Amino acid sequence: MKAPKFNPGWAGNIGEYELTEAEIRGEDFVGERPLEGGHPSASATYPYMLETKDPKAKLFEGAYLERFEKIVTRYPEMRAALLPTLSLAQEVRGYVSPQTMDEVAELLELSSAYVRGVATFYTMYNKSPVGKYLIQVCTNISCNLCGAEDVLRTFLEETGTELGEISGDGCFSVVEAECLAGCGFPTCVQINSKYFENVIAEDVPEILATLRNEQSTDPRKKSLKE
Amino acid sequence: MGYPYSHASEVSIISKHFGDPDARTLEGWKKRGGYEGLQKALQMGPEEVIELVKDSGLRGRGGAGFPTGLKWSFMPKDSKKPHYLLCNADESEPGTFKDRELLRWAPHQLIEGCAIGAYAIGAEQIYIYCRGEFFEANQVLAKAVEDAYEAGILGQDVFGSGKRIELTVHAGAGAYICGEETGLMNSLEGRRGEPRIKPPFPAAAGLFGLPTTINNVETLSAIPHIVAKGSDWYRKWGTEDSPGTKLFCVSGHVRRPGNYELPLGFPLKELINEVCGGVVDGNALKAVIPGGSSVPILSADQVEDCLLSYEGVQEAGSMLGCASVIVMDETTDVVHQVMRMSSFYAHESCGQCTPCREGTAWVTNILKKLLAGKGTEEDLTTLMELTDQMTGTTICVLSDSVAAPVQSSIKYFREDYQKLIKGGEVNG
Ligand SMILES: Cc1cc2nc3c(=O)[nH]c(=O)nc-3n(C[C@H](O)[C@H](O)[C@H](O)COP(=O)(O)O)c2cc1C
Ligand code: SF4
Repeated sequence: MKAPKFNPGWAGNIGEYELTEAEIRGEDFVGERPLEGGHPSASATYPYMLETKDPKAKLFEGAYLERFEKIVTRYPEMRAALLPTLSLAQEVRGYVSPQTMDEVAELLELSSAYVRGVATFYTMYNKSPVGKYLIQVCTNISCNLCGAEDVLRTFLEETGTELGEISGDGCFSVVEAECLAGCGFPTCVQINSKYFENVIAEDVPEILATLRNEQSTDPRKKSLKE
Repeated sequence: MGYPYSHASEVSIISKHFGDPDARTLEGWKKRGGYEGLQKALQMGPEEVIELVKDSGLRGRGGAGFPTGLKWSFMPKDSKKPHYLLCNADESEPGTFKDRELLRWAPHQLIEGCAIGAYAIGAEQIYIYCRGEFFEANQVLAKAVEDAYEAGILGQDVFGSGKRIELTVHAGAGAYICGEETGLMNSLEGRRGEPRIKPPFPAAAGLFGLPTTINNVETLSAIPHIVAKGSDWYRKWGTEDSPGTKLFCVSGHVRRPGNYELPLGFPLKELINEVCGGVVDGNALKAVIPGGSSVPILSADQVEDCLLSYEGVQEAGSMLGCASVIVMDETTDVVHQVMRMSSFYAHESCGQCTPCREGTAWVTNILKKLLAGKGTEEDLTTLMELTDQMTGTTICVLSDSVAAPVQSSIKYFREDYQKLIKGGEVNG
């Protein structure tokens, strides 16, 4: 299968529509959502796979403390804030270590063992550090039918890593993902908080080069359409 | 309209503004008739709203197809306890990608549907449990929710009616099983997302042990239109038992994959050949999964006369599920794909029930053995027996979901398995 012609920044085939990458991703509508302020109803929805990670960051201070306090108000029990709180911890620290789990337990007045039991149930909590870019390639059925295994293999070859390991330059970790609900846009690849869609094996070197060279926090300024 | 392609056969109700960035804004949404349904509902009694939804015949779009109005009517009427409305936006059934489109293109439609649902069942708190991986779509929803609060559409006094409706966007953390309704409740409570034994059913004891209704994103997105335009209007499309329209997520070997909104009862063959432009490279069709990875596979013969309604797909030998149509052409290695699905279920089994925890792993191992050319005819018997034991014996139906593709593929694509077995003998 060939990549569709109009695929701005790998944000997905736009078929009959005239859309920019920002419009497809919703960035034009969302704009800047500052960490401070904002309504508590949506405090748990920020992107938490940041490029810059600080494993020693305090849980929590500043804008993050404010968000944590808002999240807690949305549930009748402290326990229910556990998943959003672990996500918030991962957002600042990049992964959830046993130490982090203990600190979260203390914040929410839960036992450490309990928090560990819950945290290990969910795949999105990185139990160990990951590269600056976590590349998750869907290889489930719909993508698989359209060449996902080639895409995964190419990502591994081009980054010179084994599945789940961090590349030598600390830039990339590549993992196999289950269905990312982008089945109409195969192969679907999640890189940090963003979806790259309609990715074919031939695209991989260019995607990695873009990620390597990009100075800004947005790795996909460049569009395939150009 | 379908996204990223549309087709003349479509009936655009919930997908009408896909691909239209202006429809995401509150102003833009209102200009397109948004929030009329909610304002109308607030003038009606909650009972009346439930009756209306019952009359429309709307069935749950999350997979099981349970009548939505009936589900709402199970909620206790005069209890003093808080009630909850949950929206299931954990979309992770392989082949399904409709809820993400609804979240990112029509967030206010969902908010409106949620608010109407909450009003009807007497809930003051709504949680939308969003799939964690949907960072981008969740941001769009979050922004729309913030705007709705600011405009007084959510909060203490919805549209000046004196009704209080709160909504919280809750992001999951990556676990397919949290899409199962009671697994989702446990997850939202901050526990492992392990499904609960039923009864008690959610309407009696759901989230935090309180009366709860849970609906899929697509179900709730249809509600504003039904309330605004009436149940007879909705019944103009679809069949007697499957009224209305449905998003069909088509993926795999078709020329124009994507979401299409079609009346229920639409012919599957026409969907593939006309709407989606046919099979890629002019190849012959081999198999179709009509409802996501959890339902039986149909062979090309079965596809011929299959109509895409709940009853129609059942007649053809499968289930409509969430209408995720996965198309496979003649080049497909069916056994490999079945193995990929079973390894998914092995990864996602929560591990509470022995038949599921052990069965999913064993099925995957046997399929891998067959694919490596080391299988025997006996393995096929074992697979059938094993999957029989995995059906109807567990807390949730994840276990049954593995049996469906395995058993149907052995039934209709036995030659594919036998080729592997023969190949094994030659090599071995
Ligand atoms: C293993 C499993 C996974 C499920 N995943 C989802 C899901 O991702 N999204 C969804 O809406 N329903 C899912 N369901 C169905 C829900 O349990 C539930 O039936 C549905 O959310 C009810 O909403 P509805 O009546 O509007 O369809 C799943 C069910 C099972 C057994
Ligand atoms: S059937 Fe599987 S996923 Fe469902 S509750 Fe049992 S072990 Fe968990």
